[in-house]
Amino acid sequence: MNPAIKAIIRKDFRSITANRKLFSTMLIVPLCLTVLLPSIFILVSHFAPDDPDMQKLLSLLPAGAGAESLQLTVASLILNYILPVFFLMIPIMTSSITAASSFVGEKEKRTLETLLYCPLSVQQIFRAKVLASFLLSMLVSFLSFAAMLLFVELEAYFLMHGLLRPSLHWLLILLLLAPSLSLIAVTLIVRGSAKAKSVEESQQSAVFLILPLILLMVGQFSGALLLSTLFLLGLSVLCLFLAVLLLRKALRRFTYEMLLQNTSPSTQSRH
Amino acid sequence: MQAIDIEHLSKTYAGGQKAVRDLSFTFGEGEVFGFLGPNGAGKTTTVKLLTGMLTPTSGRCRILGIDPAAQPEQVHALCGVVTEHAQMYDTLTGLENLQFFASLYGTGPEQSLARAREVLQLLRLEDAADQKLATYSSGMRQRLSLARCLMHRPRILFLDEPTAALDPESVQNVNQLIQNLAQSEGITIFLCTHQLRYAQEICTRYGLMSHGRLLALGTLNELRARLFSHSTLRIRASHIQEAPQALKPDADGCFTMPIACEEKVPEVVRQLVQSGAHIYEVEIIRPTLEDIYFSLTKER
Ligand SMILES: Nc1ncnc2c1ncn2[C@@H]1O[C@H](COP(=O)(O)OP(=O)(O)O)[C@@H](O)[C@H]1O
Ligand SMILES: [Mg+2]
Repeated sequence: MNPAIKAIIRKDFRSITANRKLFSTMLIVPLCLTVLLPSIFILVSHFAPDDPDMQKLLSLLPAGAGAESLQLTVASLILNYILPVFFLMIPIMTSSITAASSFVGEKEKRTLETLLYCPLSVQQIFRAKVLASFLLSMLVSFLSFAAMLLFVELEAYFLMHGLLRPSLHWLLILLLLAPSLSLIAVTLIVRGSAKAKSVEESQQSAVFLILPLILLMVGQFSGALLLSTLFLLGLSVLCLFLAVLLLRKALRRFTYEMLLQNTSPSTQSRH
Repeated sequence: MQAIDIEHLSKTYAGGQKAVRDLSFTFGEGEVFGFLGPNGAGKTTTVKLLTGMLTPTSGRCRILGIDPAAQPEQVHALCGVVTEHAQMYDTLTGLENLQFFASLYGTGPEQSLARAREVLQLLRLEDAADQKLATYSSGMRQRLSLARCLMHRPRILFLDEPTAALDPESVQNVNQLIQNLAQSEGITIFLCTHQLRYAQEICTRYGLMSHGRLLALGTLNELRARLFSHSTLRIRASHIQEAPQALKPDADGCFTMPIACEEKVPEVVRQLVQSGAHIYEVEIIRPTLEDIYFSLTKER
């Protein structure tokens, strides 16, 4: 990789981790989603296995899943069917935060123009910045997954005396769906960055990405749409396709002139 | 090859604002070119056109023979740009900022460290090198921006209002620096400012702008010769008995007269002395850039 592009990525990583408020939000929310929430689920399933809803959920079990103890089965079910939907919020959220700070934040602080005066093409800068947001969001996602697995397994081991088996779905999610969603979130932010005047304004557009996830979640809970491997694969491929499409479109719109809009003398402010 | 070569360059913004209209001029390397005009004259727009940030609506320009609209990266490799819109990172120290930007020019860390120490010293920022940029005053920021531009040893520097936010002492320092850069390092300088008095101290050639149009172009003496047929001779003297017709007392108790060239001065002085006058001071007051600019705008 071009060392200049590497330098931009390193700088973006650093400026995000140096912003305490931003970085702590980026860590606390994933921790809630991957440690706190699963723990509550596991504890509930441990202490209230006779709940009628739980029984209903069990009746939807794919055949052959009930080999181990009932509690472990329920816990596995939670791990493999419910947690993925929560987990997918992490790449969306983290990449929205990083992209907003990396594109809109630089524009707001008037450092983007300085970058543009360097002997890199505007496309190279675009790629470096997308890559920085993407890599950071993947890093947070993978770490969150590791933390989640660790906690869930520990809880299962101590409470239920057994281990949970993560399904192959997780592989699909980690390697295909999460990266695609993360890229989509980045491009949406970048698209909006030409118009957005502040970081907050641009982050709002990523909220719309959460909506389909919430639908997915409702589907999961109502049992209408239990994640099947095929469905997941289809969804992932669709998202990947969409991500590539959006990325190419965004790249074409990414020009000096577009980037310098809204930095006219009348909108300047220095803090 | 000319440093900057502009032909019929125009820029109309999307909103219909005609910021630059049919601009044409060239100048060679080693000049300190003062691009002057009030706010809104189109100076910043021109710099953006010359550095490839904007594409011209019509016309073309070349920087050291390269078209910035087609190959902005190559122009950027040869130029440095200081504008108030190009800031650096508050969370990094002065030195880290310089090293980061140097890395974008493909300079390795050791090499950039050595160069950064050099330019920081040149701009008297050694003591602030390891402070976060957030703690810098606006004068220090401005000097660090200059330092950033010097890191890659550019052949042309674009300075857009480099002294607008500075106190008089810093203005002096930056002035001195710009002159040194031009004279000892041979860097061509394209200086935009609305402070005519300040530009007059350091530029070798001028382009005067108003409402997107170039009003006049040339060295100070060329501009003076074009617009003014004479300068003013000012004499402080007493016991004047017999004087040239044109010599008139002014408000400060001195005497002034218009003269076409300085060869006339000895003659006037001799005449006064021979008639018994006591002369304390003799001075030629030449038209300043401000006089030139106002007479140009009045002409229209
Ligand atoms: N991004 C922009 N969009 C529309 N009009 C602009 C923009 N930038 C500058 N202008 C207008 O173009 C004219 C020239 O501006 P500018 O080049 O900034 O002048 P200067 O730098 O000499 O003060 C002004 O009338 C200004 O309002
Ligand atoms: Mg300006």
